Parts: sequence; structure tokens; C-alpha cells
Amino acid sequence: MTKKEKKSFNQCMAEWKLFLYNPTTREFLGRTTKSWGLILLFYLVFYGFLAALFSFTMWAMLQTLNDEVPKYRDQIPSPGLMVFPKPVTALDYSFRVSDPESYRGYVDDLTKFLKSYDLEEQKNLTACPDGALREQKGPTYTACQFPVVSLKGCSGVEDPEFGYSTGNPCILVKMNRIIGLKPQGKPRINCISKKTATLSTYPSNGTIDLKYFPYYGKKLHVRYLQPLVAVQVAFNTTSTGKEVTVECKIDGSPNLRNQDDRDKFLGRVVFKITMHA
Amino acid sequence: MYSCLDLSGHVVLFELGQLYPGITMEFGKTRGRVTPQELNPSSGPKPKRVPKMVGRRKKEKVKRKKNKANIEELKKEVVMDDHKLTLEELSRRYSVDLTKGLRPEKAQEILDRDGPNTLTPPPTTPEWVKFCKQLFGGFSILLWTGAILCFVAYGIQTYFNEEPTKDNLYLGIVLAVVVFITGCFSYYQEAKSSKIMESFKSMVPQQALVIRGGEKMQINVQNVVVGDLVEVKGGDRIPADIRLISAQGCKVDNSSLTGESEPQSRFPHFTHENLLETRNICFFSTNCVEGTARGIVIATGDSTVMGRIASLTSGLAVGQTPIATEIKHFIHIITMVAVFLGVSFFGLSLMLGYSWLKAVIFLIGIIVANVPEGLLVTVTVCLTLTAKRMAKKNCLVKNLEAVETLGSTSIICSDKTGTLTQNRMTVAHLWFDKTTYEADTSEEQTVNTFAKDSDTWFILARIAGLCNRADFKPDQETLPIAKRATTGDASESALLKFIEQSYSSVKEMREKSPKVAEIPFNSTNKYQISIHLREDSSQTHVLLMKGAPERILAFCSSYLLNGQEYSMDEEMKEAFQNAYLELGGLGERVLGFCFLNLPNTFSKGFKFNTDEVNFPMENFCFVGLISMIDPPRPAVPEAVCKCRSAGIKVIMVTGDHPITAKAIAKGVGIISEGTETAEDTTAQLKVHVRQIDSRDVKAIVVHGSDLKDMSSAQLDEILRNYTEIVFARTSPQQKLIIVEGCQRQGNVVAATGDGVNDSPALKKADIGIAMGITGSDVSKQAADMILLDDNFASIVTGVEEGRLIFDNLKKSIAYTLTSNIPEITPFLLFIILGIPLPLGTITILCIDLGTDMVPAISLAYESAESDIMKRAPRDPKNDKLVNYRLIGMAYGQIGMIQALAGFFTYFVILAENGFKPADLLGIRHDWENSYVNDLEDSYGQQWTFEQRKILEFTCQTGFFVSIVIVQWADLIICKTRRNSVFQQGMKNKILIFGILEETFLAAFLCYTPGMDMALRMYPLKIFWWLCAIPYSILIFIYDEVRKFAIRNHPGGWLERETYY
Repeated sequence: MTKKEKKSFNQCMAEWKLFLYNPTTREFLGRTTKSWGLILLFYLVFYGFLAALFSFTMWAMLQTLNDEVPKYRDQIPSPGLMVFPKPVTALDYSFRVSDPESYRGYVDDLTKFLKSYDLEEQKNLTACPDGALREQKGPTYTACQFPVVSLKGCSGVEDPEFGYSTGNPCILVKMNRIIGLKPQGKPRINCISKKTATLSTYPSNGTIDLKYFPYYGKKLHVRYLQPLVAVQVAFNTTSTGKEVTVECKIDGSPNLRNQDDRDKFLGRVVFKITMHA
Repeated sequence: MYSCLDLSGHVVLFELGQLYPGITMEFGKTRGRVTPQELNPSSGPKPKRVPKMVGRRKKEKVKRKKNKANIEELKKEVVMDDHKLTLEELSRRYSVDLTKGLRPEKAQEILDRDGPNTLTPPPTTPEWVKFCKQLFGGFSILLWTGAILCFVAYGIQTYFNEEPTKDNLYLGIVLAVVVFITGCFSYYQEAKSSKIMESFKSMVPQQALVIRGGEKMQINVQNVVVGDLVEVKGGDRIPADIRLISAQGCKVDNSSLTGESEPQSRFPHFTHENLLETRNICFFSTNCVEGTARGIVIATGDSTVMGRIASLTSGLAVGQTPIATEIKHFIHIITMVAVFLGVSFFGLSLMLGYSWLKAVIFLIGIIVANVPEGLLVTVTVCLTLTAKRMAKKNCLVKNLEAVETLGSTSIICSDKTGTLTQNRMTVAHLWFDKTTYEADTSEEQTVNTFAKDSDTWFILARIAGLCNRADFKPDQETLPIAKRATTGDASESALLKFIEQSYSSVKEMREKSPKVAEIPFNSTNKYQISIHLREDSSQTHVLLMKGAPERILAFCSSYLLNGQEYSMDEEMKEAFQNAYLELGGLGERVLGFCFLNLPNTFSKGFKFNTDEVNFPMENFCFVGLISMIDPPRPAVPEAVCKCRSAGIKVIMVTGDHPITAKAIAKGVGIISEGTETAEDTTAQLKVHVRQIDSRDVKAIVVHGSDLKDMSSAQLDEILRNYTEIVFARTSPQQKLIIVEGCQRQGNVVAATGDGVNDSPALKKADIGIAMGITGSDVSKQAADMILLDDNFASIVTGVEEGRLIFDNLKKSIAYTLTSNIPEITPFLLFIILGIPLPLGTITILCIDLGTDMVPAISLAYESAESDIMKRAPRDPKNDKLVNYRLIGMAYGQIGMIQALAGFFTYFVILAENGFKPADLLGIRHDWENSYVNDLEDSYGQQWTFEQRKILEFTCQTGFFVSIVIVQWADLIICKTRRNSVFQQGMKNKILIFGILEETFLAAFLCYTPGMDMALRMYPLKIFWWLCAIPYSILIFIYDEVRKFAIRNHPGGWLERETYY
């Protein structure tokens, strides 16, 4: 049994050929047609059964889900911050004032994003009273209007270039949607820059009005509009460097976290703008 | 000369292979001193291993070149002239008396000077090399590759990116640590197992008979010194290089040294200039085959011829045992699958547009998922456990290979005397007062059940005790009677013990009636007479006689019935004949007993002349018959029965008389009850043997003289057609023919033997089994296994153990491999479907090295399935350790269910947190992008990168826990291959511990604070633990149904395709 004869290459090949197709026993890959048929049938039935069972358990599981609200929301207790134009590889905006092509992407992105905030689109939305949470009982849920004009120079209404052509680029900051989130206090987006650049936030003070909360989810809260805060950067003409790092944080609300060691986007966002002449 | 030498043979046996870090048990390379037996050349190359040896010698040649200078030097030293000396010169040179030997003090002096008579062990592989082999062998290479890829990936990331994630660095470190730790563990296990094997070896110490100061003494071979006068006899191993001074028909087997297998005669005369050719030198560690010889030791230890050569040929490459080959094969397959999957998915991910760095990370993941990291450790532990268990059961296995081969044994050729029987004549039956009484023949001999109050019995007992030359050796009063040593022949000793036990002290009896005269037994007379003074009146004598029954009856004219004397009549003669035939037919040795009260004329002082008989020799009074037999060992019938149900044919090969052989064969069940041999049938039907259709007869007793005239075709026919075979009156040489005949039928043959002449048969057999008590050294050398208690039942235990280890290894591997599928599929679906990764690399390692480990090892403790000794022996050609059925079961069936369980939990966790399954497809690109921090779920919520990563890791923890839960079921179904778990029971405590351990470990990993940082495992909600339970139940039910079908349709399609 321990015997292990060295086989010549030819022998090896012959054995392989015989394994591939053995004409005497009519075996293909070591099995006859019938044997292949049976084993394939077995696995077909077996996997068919498994697939059915899996589908059934998945179906049963999906039945237990509520269509409106996810079962657990404890994984996202606090919202993250996100900026627009949408960063692709890094939070680094770089453009040349003199070259419209260099910021076209940003402008298009902002225009596209603000499309749903168009006045025409907002026509059917409710004009809600400011300064208070807007809890609803259903069965129909209405969304509040978000007056784009409050974004002033960054609304795209007055300046379709969002300040990029004038060297005062706009960045929109938004808070992630979380179902049922009710911010306490007076939440606002506070942006600071380390370099010598003036930041203007719209609406003034970066306030986020409570009337946009709570959010009731995609299905119930159709056409819900997130409140936005715009940051417009104005470089000091005297400063030599046209580069600024901006950090925006949620402020003024005790239940919205803005500091997490791991999550750099939890209640805050840091981005860099480099403007060439 | 050198090329003929092969010292490695023995080493081969002890090797489990180096291929593979787990079970590299280099038993051959001992650390201590090597006794000649370990150098064991004669048991070396079995014919079947020859092809390997050839290859090995090539390697040796290469090695030898390096040592060339060394060789030349040693060749010079071999010049010796001891063989040319006359005896006087020899005596002078070694200052030794040729009849009395060395003085003991002198011998001690020389021993102190020269050191012990052992060979310096070959330079063993340095420990660090062994350690490195463990670190870099087998799967380790694959994992090292993974680790290095991790470091490379990390390096590149650091180079191109200021803020690299440390994940790759950590993973690399973890992989390296894992390989290192498993390497350490395997190394430790190997060291432990080789220690066990070493301890086995020291259990068979070598003895040499030396004459020192005129006294013969048995000493350990290590203590033999130059100048010692030693005596060797057939079956001994030559303890050192010896110059013969006298020899009687001495023949030695020098095959270990010269390669000539023909025994050569040895005598004291100088015949050849060359030391190696001359006939008056015997060489260290060769074997004396027959005869006796005396000689003076001229060299010991390393200075012997063998020692010189041994030091040159050390460090030979060693062969692989079948189990090692199987494991190597299996590692190859797994590695190939891992590399194939890894590389093809590497290519696929590049085609799908991933960066090659990402593709490398996928590759690492696939490799890690494919390699069962913990398996090698598991296998090592299983084998070590078996080694220990075998040692406990009196089976001294010289190599673990033997255990495995033993498991596939299909024929056992067993000796009768000593193996099947107790090797102790014992009184079995008595016949007096026209009644047959049975004596207790068990080893304990506690109760004797017969009419002890009959007067006939008293007289019979006195004759048996007095007319008996056997006696107990002194100083054995404390031993039970049955165990005491006696002088005298076997039947007389049997009678002595029997009388001592069931009547009274024979010594007292003999003191009261001293022996006056005696005619000892001889083969012409076939009787024995002794004359004693009578106990009652010490003036008259009584003549007592025992002998062959028909001879005894011829002297008698009367008989005793219940103590009364009646004159002999036809009725009595017929009763006698019937009893004699009955007892003889049982294969027992029958003795008749009679007596004569001598008349007063022969009073005290009468000079009895035994040469010219001067006392009456007729008209004796017949008393009774006593029959004796060497009874079967108590456990043997059961063991034979087990063999039969295990599909193992037991063939008895004995030198004994056919009738006795047949009787014992019937007694132990080799010829089963109700089965008759051709002769029996003819006796009943009163027809000639030839008229009986041989197909109707299952049993046969073959006479050695018939066997001699048989062609091998005729022998084959007998071996094929008869299920119950006894060979009687065979010579040891014929045993070899029988073994070969069995092997021609494609059987795996185990043969037992004790004599020197048995060793060819032992070598030829697939498993040679030597007797630990009665066996000669040579037979022990030739054997693969030694029975410490000489008991046949131990062989069967060995077979069972061998089958068990094979089964349990299969089960353990099946269990471990199953979890590979739920480990690989996440990666595949991650790449193909673009879903978030369901199971991470670290989590895979947690399964392979954490939770799967103890349960897999616990299967080694699983007791045998009820059918272990009821099914046919393993066919070593087709029934592999890991076959496609096992892979099919583990990967294709159970593994798939497990993967579904994992995915189900994964989808549940994601869905319940907002990501419904349908929305997950293709989400991977955004999901993995750390700058997308507002990824929207199915409910419109937006997730930051870190938030969804935590969710992903929670899912991975859930997947991990699901695997643990489905592995419960897998462990339970792997307990058995055919039986239901309900038949097998849950008695394996280690296994229950294993289940608890893996569960607690999973909970620990899941809930311990800080695990989120260390291993990125997150707490789960209780409900998520339960998701896998339906699948666990499904696994259990599916497998129970499968096994039920297999049990109910033996040989059916399901068995052919899924019974691993």
C-alpha cells in the first residue's frame, strides 16, 4: 500500500484521458451518464429545496418588518454631516476662478441637488411654523417647505455659479436623515476655519429649524426636504494662500453628538477648499 | 557493502512524515542512545517498500560525498585481526578466561572506560530545524503568503496615502501570530508523541547472556564490554562484535550488514582474510537464526562494524506512511482549491475594476477562508490520543502506521499456542464412576464442580498426585496455585496443580507416602509407575500407574465404582471406550489411572527392581481417566466472534495435531458451532470425502503435509472457498506460504508469531504481530506490533482501535471542512453580488482556531459506532481518508446549509436595521467608500461610513455566531457516520464540553467590552442568535434522514454517494 510507483508522463496522460472519458465503461469524468444524472438530480432537488427554504425564511422575516420604520434604530442614534458638492475621493475642493471648466462639476452637482428644493417642486408642501418640532400622527404626513432663498447667495437663484466664478465658493452642509430624530435645544451648524478666510453661513447663524423634525421615513414622509445650511467662503484678498480648511459641527443640541474618535463624520465634517487664481 | 546496507528501514516505520507539520513524528530519530534493536536492519525494508528505497539511496550518495574523507578514515580503521588469532592469543589479548569469562570487577572497569555498548544515535535533526519545519510546512506557507501580502498591502498604502488604515497591518500580524502559535503547538505535540514512542521502545529491553567469573548472567546489552564471554542462541540478536570460540550448528542472518538474506553458518575457525567474510565473527545487531555459540566480544558500540557504518548512514531521508500520504494528498487538494479560487477571484475582481490592492486583499481573504487552520493540530492530537490508548491496551505499536493498517486487516493468521490458548495445560475433564466430570479451565480456576465425595475421586487424586514427577518451584506460597511455576512436563504440572487445588497438598501426600521405586514414562511403554508406602499401614506398598488409557486398561482386571472394586466386564470396557473417544474427540490429552495394593510379601524394606521387574504387573484396578487441554483464553471466543462480524477471517496456523487444533478452533469459534468439516460430514453420512460437494462445507482442517504438496492455485482455492480454515501440523515456513496465499487474494493480512522462523511471515504480512512474553527478539524486530500479553483479544482491540482512529479522523475532518463553505461563500458573494462583506478574515480565524478547535478534537474521543466491528474491513485502495463523498457532504450539503444560515442572519440584521435585501445588491461600491457618508437605506435614513461599518461588523458577528450554532448540529451529526445519534447517545463528555466551550467563546467574543476595538466584534441582540437555529435543526434532520436511509438501504444510491 505504501508502494508508489513513479508514473511516466505518458502513463499519466493516458490515465487522465481515461478519466475524462472511459470508452469501455462509458464513463465521463469517472461517472456514467446515469450516475451523473442521478447526482445532478440529487443536488438539483437538494439545492432547490434549500433555495425554497431560504426564500421562505427570508419571506417570513420580511413579513415581520414594518414598511415604514426599521425595527432597530439604535445603530444610528446621532446623525452624520455631509457636504455638497458630493466629494468623490476626498473632501478636497480645488478649482480655478478663471477656468469655468474646473468648477463645472461642483456647480452641476449643486444645481442637481437643489433641484428638489425648487420653488415649483415645493408648491404642494406645507408652510410650517418655525421653531418647534412638528410631530405628526398620520395617517398622512406632510413635509415642510424649505425656502431656498434663505441660502442667500448659495441658493443658486441669484448666482447660478454658486459663487465659484467670483471666488466665493458655496458648500452646502446637511444633516443625515434619521427616522424619529428629535433634536433638543436649538441645533445649528457652526463652521470655523483655521486660515484667514471669512465664512458666511446661511441661513444666518447656520440655524436648523426644528420644524423639519422628526422625519417619518421615505414611505410616510414623501417629498420630505432636509434643512440645509450653506457655507460661503470669502478669501481675504490680502492673504497670499487661497487655501482654507473648514470644520463644521452641529452645535446647540445636547442630543446630537459631534465628537467621536472613530467616526469623523458624526455631527461634524471637515473639508478643504483650494482656490487658484 | 555500503550500498547493501539499509539502516533506515526501521526508521521508516516510525515516521509519520514530515510533509506536514502536524504529525511529523520522527520516532526513528531518538534523542537518547540507540540500542541495537533500534538499528534494526532485519525488520527494515519490507518488500513492498523497495521502490522507495532505491530513490532514497540516491540521496544517500549525495550525502556521502561530503563525508568522503571521513569514510576513508573509517575504512582504514576497520582493519582488525581478531579473526586471525588463535584462541590462546585471543585469550591473552583480552586477558579473559575462555571458560569463565571476565571477572565482574574487570568488566565494570572496562565498561567505565569504554562506555555503554550502544551506538551513538545518528545526529538528530536539530530542534530548531524541526521547529522551522512545523512553522513553514503544509498550510503554513499559504498563511505566511497571506501575512506577507497583508504587510505589502499595508506598505503600499502607507507609501501612497498619508492616512492608511491599519487593518491590513493588524491582519498581517494576526496571521503571522496564528501560524506561529499553531507551529509551536504542532511542535509540542510532535515532541510529546515521539516521547511516547520512545517509551514504547524502552519497554522491550535487550538482554544478553554473558559469562562472568564463571557464572552465566543475563545483562542488558548496554552493559556488554570488550572481552566479555557471551553465549548466543537461535533467536538472539548478537549483542556486540564477537569472535567465536565454540559453536553448535550456529547460523546467523547477516542481511542487515551485507544484504545477503541466506543464513550463514558460523564456527570458530578462521576462513577468510576479510573480517566481513570470515566465518568466525558474528556482528553486532545481526541475528542468530539457529544453534548456539560462544564467543569473546571484540568490539562494542560505535567501534563495531555496524557502528562505524551506522554513523555514516545516519540522517537518511525517511519514507512516508500511508496516513501521512493521505494527509499530504488532502493538503494538496485544499491548497490547490484555495489557490485556484484565490487566483480566479483575483482576476475576476481586477476585471470588475477593483484596484489591484483591493484584489490582493480579497485574495488573502479567500486563502484564509479556504485553509482549515486548526485541522492539522486536530489531527495531531487525535493520533497522539490513539498512541496513548493503544499503549494502555497491551498493544505495543511500533509505529502509528500499523494502527491504521491494522484497522483495514481482513485476515488474521494466528498461532494457537499461547495466543489463542493460555499456553498452560489444564485438567479439563475427569471420568470416573462411569461419569464424565468437567473441571474448571478458566484462568482463575475458582470452582471445581464434580463429585468430590466419591471414594474413587480420593484414589484418583492420590494416584495423580503421587505418580507424578512434577513439583512446585520453591518460594511461591503467596501466588495463586494456577500461577505457580513448576518443574516437570506440562501434563504432570497440570495434574499437580489440579490436585493441589481441588484435593489437598501434594507435598503432604508425598511425605506421608514416600516413593520407593518408579518407572518413568517413556514413549514405548506409554505408562509411568511409582511404588509408595501406604499411608494407613506404613508396612505395605501400593503400586500406582498412569499412562495412555488403552495401555492402562490392558493391565486391569477390575475397576472402581464409588469406591468399590468390581471385576472388569464388557459394559465397563464399552463405557471406557466411549469416554476415551469422547474426550479424545475434544482434542484433549487423556491419561488413564490405575493402582494395585501390593500384597504383604512386598512389605517395607523390599528392594524393588525397576529394570528387571520383581513385582506384579497385572490385575490392576482401573480408577479413571483425566484429560487435559491447553484451554482457550477466556476473551478469545468473543474476540473471534467480533472478528467474524467485522469481516475478518481468522485462520489458525499451528504445529499441533489436527484433532487438538480442530477442538481448540471449535472452542474459540474459528470453526463455528454447527459448521462441520468435510471429515465430520463424511463420518455422519458414511460416504467418502470426495463425494461431498465442497461448496456445502465451510470449514476445513488442512494438514501440513497436504499443504506441502499443494500448488499455490490449490491453496488459493482453499483460501477462497472456505471461510473457516485451520492449518495443523504446519512448519513455520509454511506460515509464510499461507500469508502469501492470503495476500494473493488481495487481503490485508495480520500474522502472529513468536519464533525466529516466523519472522519471514511476520515481515511478509501487512501487519506482523510478535508476542511480548514468549516471542524471540528476532520476531519482535520483524513485527510491526507487539502484544504485551500475548493475547489474541488484544489484536482485535488493536483492529478496533485502528478502525476507530480512522473513523474519528474522518469525522473530525468532515466537521472542520464543513465550516469552510460558510467562510468562502461570503467572499464570493461579496465580489459577485456587491453586497457588504458578510464575514471578515478575522472572524474566519476566530472560527477556525477558536470555536471549531475543541469540538473537532473532541471527536477523537468519540466512542466507536456500534457497527465498527460489524462492517467489512476498509479497502485501502478505494476507501480514502478524505474522499469525494466526504467533500460532497461537507462542502456540497451541510456546508451549504450552514452558509444559508449565516446569510440568513446577515440579511436579518441588515434588514432590521434598515437595509432590505433587495437594496443591498450592488451597494458595495458606495458602501466601501469612506467619503460617502450619507448612504441611504431602504427607509430613507442616511448612514455615515463608520455607522454602516459598525453595522457590517455586527452582521459579521451575527454570521460568526450562526456558524457556531450550525456547527453544534454539525458536531452532533459528525459523531456518527451510519448510526443515528439516538443510538450512539451523547456520552462523549469532551464533545459536550466542546459545544459549551464554543458557545461561551462565541458569547465572550461577542459581548466582552473592548472586542469592538480588538476584533471588531459587536454585541448582538438575542434574537439574532436564534436565526440560525432552524438551519441547525435542518442539518440535524437532514442527516438523520440520510443515515436512516443508509441504514435501511445498505448499498443503496445514497450510501454510495454520501457515506464517507
